[in-house]
Amino acid sequence: MEMGLGQLTELSEGMNLPEFRKMVTQENINLYAEASRDFNPIHIDEDFAKKTPLGGTIAHGMLILAYVSQMMSAAFGQSWLSGGRLNVRFKTPARPGDSITVTGRISRIKRNEGQTLIRCDVSCQNQNGDSVITGEASVRVEK
Amino acid sequence: MPEKQKIEYSQLEVGYEFPPSSYKLDSSMVTTYLKAVEDASALYQDTVLVPPMAIAAHAMASLSESICLPPGTIHVSQEFEFIDAVSINDTLISYARVGRKQSRGKFHFLIVDLNVINQHQKAVLTGKTSFILPEHSEDM
Repeated sequence: MEMGLGQLTELSEGMNLPEFRKMVTQENINLYAEASRDFNPIHIDEDFAKKTPLGGTIAHGMLILAYVSQMMSAAFGQSWLSGGRLNVRFKTPARPGDSITVTGRISRIKRNEGQTLIRCDVSCQNQNGDSVITGEASVRVEK
Repeated sequence: MPEKQKIEYSQLEVGYEFPPSSYKLDSSMVTTYLKAVEDASALYQDTVLVPPMAIAAHAMASLSESICLPPGTIHVSQEFEFIDAVSINDTLISYARVGRKQSRGKFHFLIVDLNVINQHQKAVLTGKTSFILPEHSEDM
C-alpha cells in the first residue's frame, strides 16, 4: 500500500504528520464557491460581507476542512478515500490573506487482524495562532 | 440548474427527509475543486479518483439548495466518513435527513445526517452537519 508516511509498521503514537501551510485567497474562495455551488455572499461578495458583523468575506469552512483531508490523503494515500473519517469543529472563520497551518499528530494506533486503525488529532491555525478547525481524523489501513 | 424549492427552518421536524439530489462529478468539476483547494497530489493526477471532500462539498451544496437558513447561521461542526472511493463520472445521489432540532436559550441547533450512494446503490459517504441558528429562527 502506498503511504506518504512510509511503512505502516514504522508508524507510532505521538508521530506528527507532515504539516503544511496554505494561503487563503479570494480567488480560491471564488473557485471553491464554483466547485461546491455554495455562492453565499458572505464568501464571495465583499460589499455585502463588509456590512455584516464579520466585516469582510470569509472562506467556506469546508474549504479549510479540505486542507485537513489533503493532509490525510498525503499521509495515508488511497486508504483515506475508502476508510477515512473526520470529526471536527469550526472555531474561527478563515479570511482572505490568512495563512493556515495544517497539522496532525497520531494519537492512537490499533492493530487488528488484517487492518490497522490510526487516529489523529488534527488542527488548522491561522497566522495569529487562532484555531480555525480542531478535531479528529481516523483512517483504516489494510495491512 | 433550476432553483429548488427551499424549506424554512421553522417547518423542519426531526426525521424530515430532504428531496434526494442526483449529480455526476465530471472532470471539469473535479479540476475546479482541485484548483480551489490547491491540491496537486499524485493521487488525483492522471487518475479517475475524486477527492472525498469534493463529494462532501456537493452533498452539502445539495443540502443548502434545499433549506433556507437565516443570516447569521453558523456551521459549527462536521463529521464525515469516506466509505468507498468515487471515480469521475460516477453518478451520486445525496440524501439528507434532520437528525436533531433543539432550542437552548436564544439559540437553535440543527443537525442534519447525510448519506451519499453511487449508481450501484453502494454507500460512499456519510456525514453529520451541525448548525447554530440565531434568535428568531423559529419565526422564519
